[in-house]
Amino acid sequence: MSATTVSTQTRRMTLVDAMIDAMSQEMRRDERVFYIGQDAGAMGGAMQGTKGMIEEFGPRRILEAPISESAMVGAAIGAALFGRRPIVEVSFGEFLPAAMNQIINQAPNIHYHTGGSACAPVVIRTRVGHGPYGGHPEDYSGWFAHVPGLKVVMPSTPADAKGLMTAALRDANPVLFFEAMSLSHATRGEVPVGDHVEPIGPARLARQGKDVTVVALGSMVPPAMAVATALEKEGIELEVIDLRALRPWDPDMVLASVHRTHRLIIVHEAWVAGGFGAEVAATVAEHTPGDLAAPVIRVGARPIPIPSGPLRRFALPDRAEIASAVRRTLSGDTV
Amino acid sequence: MKQQVDGLQLYRWMALSRALDTVLCAENPHWFPAEGEEAAIVGTFCDVRPSDAVAPHYRDPFVVYLMRGAELWRLIAQVLGKRDGYTKGRSVPFSGPAELGIVPWVAGDLGTSLGVATGAALAFQQEGSDRVCVCSFGDGTSNRGDFHENLNLAAIWKLPIVYVCQNNGWAISQRADTYLNAPVAARGAGYGIPGVTVDGQDVEAVRDAVGQAIDRARGGEGPTLIEAVTGRVRGHWAGDKATYRVETEAGRYLAPTQDPLDVQASRLLKRGEATLEQLEEIREKVAEEVTAAIERAKAAPDVVAADLALEDVYA
Repeated sequence: MSATTVSTQTRRMTLVDAMIDAMSQEMRRDERVFYIGQDAGAMGGAMQGTKGMIEEFGPRRILEAPISESAMVGAAIGAALFGRRPIVEVSFGEFLPAAMNQIINQAPNIHYHTGGSACAPVVIRTRVGHGPYGGHPEDYSGWFAHVPGLKVVMPSTPADAKGLMTAALRDANPVLFFEAMSLSHATRGEVPVGDHVEPIGPARLARQGKDVTVVALGSMVPPAMAVATALEKEGIELEVIDLRALRPWDPDMVLASVHRTHRLIIVHEAWVAGGFGAEVAATVAEHTPGDLAAPVIRVGARPIPIPSGPLRRFALPDRAEIASAVRRTLSGDTV
Repeated sequence: MKQQVDGLQLYRWMALSRALDTVLCAENPHWFPAEGEEAAIVGTFCDVRPSDAVAPHYRDPFVVYLMRGAELWRLIAQVLGKRDGYTKGRSVPFSGPAELGIVPWVAGDLGTSLGVATGAALAFQQEGSDRVCVCSFGDGTSNRGDFHENLNLAAIWKLPIVYVCQNNGWAISQRADTYLNAPVAARGAGYGIPGVTVDGQDVEAVRDAVGQAIDRARGGEGPTLIEAVTGRVRGHWAGDKATYRVETEAGRYLAPTQDPLDVQASRLLKRGEATLEQLEEIREKVAEEVTAAIERAKAAPDVVAADLALEDVYA
């Protein structure tokens, strides 16, 4: 795995533009890279996720697929086994279950079960969570962190989207790439021009602070940062960690942070029970329980099927809930 | 285009498959016996080139791996769960060495292997070569959604792949009339590709049908669906007493009336391409090969905890 690369030149772009930049750059660099997706051609992809790519690379490398997620992902895995570097797009995370056998029973098992003789370097790209168009809001990212053999990433900034996508396309293993839909066309960020690789695994220290560690994932990073800014006026310092990857993830940064702050909040858009926050909390409890001055708080979606329409905003975590968690952990000292 | 395999060699592969299968069933009660289905297996895979990909059905695919150059004793070691097996003891059944162009079988569910095999064909199309993939599966598997998704996708993209349904008339304990309302080959029309039915007990008939489909795939004309009608002689797994089978019932989807080895033997004798003595000699020779290989496999070391090799999960 290459280390983080620093490019002096940057350009402001959205997260989705950064993804397209990464994929296009890699397709220019490596003729083995190609794309499988529904609506990936003339329409420019779901949520304009492949905008401009059909014009540059043509229909041989931007393959439009029938609505057959299992065959699409399976074909990508098979193509990867035989020397290609496919990106397969499952338009929305809600459709991942249709390809679950391929994602869980095939891709992650291939290298190990073949005695190491085969590998499947496939990138599965999908979108999850609340988004601008309201549809397909389910965030199933946490399910996949359970599976040895998969790599699972979820960036929150345009720069990380480019760096992690480039890393995914150069990885020898299957990588599941989650795009938080609320961020796809949101705030632009500075993105390095040219080659930019972020290693899969290390978290990003989004903000330093001494009072409370807030581990945030994907769409929850911006609200966590906004809460940090708001509470600064009250003299409360949050340390915000953008996890970026769920497998492998970065327990070291979390443990080191909790060692300093003694308080931990984990926030993700997915459900709380059995979610990735439980893994983070359990890891701290296993390794450094003495560092905790207050109980861990997990923040996530309400335990209901995610509603569509305006009702949804009451089901998902927001700034107020994160701020409330911070106040509780600061007032609830138990040690 | 036929490879350098003559009718006698086809007989030899089938005899080896039978001898090996018999031993594997004796050693591992969970092995899935292929007795009676050898013509469908050997005829399907005898004309693929070394550079092509193969994705054989899980019902004893080992003769296919041997045709690709795998070592007999290591395959047996694999079934015994030894570390000298190709999967290093991690997967008992069906994964062969990837460098031999074998599509690995790592999922326990049925049908998803069709997706991975289809992807091999997609890789060949992407690289612009004339390589093809030949894939076989059971009649039970043909009812998975993956069958539909993959045949349609391969037809749309004109992928260089041959799908062979090895129809033995049974899905574990259920007879085909409980899950098939029409011949599998008839579905080809629904995808706009040829659907061909062939006598699965006749190795040369299977070979001819698959060979035409391979030529078609290599020529960029897309996939073909072939249904090789055979029958399951034994239970689903070696230890399965198959008490659910009623001997007196008659119908298309029952155990084959003809042994594929006998069919090919009669033909070779009739064409003057072999004598009874030669055929007898072949059977004795493959039995000796299998016996020697199983002794070597059994003598190989058993796995230990360190063989879990946790660092091997990621490439």
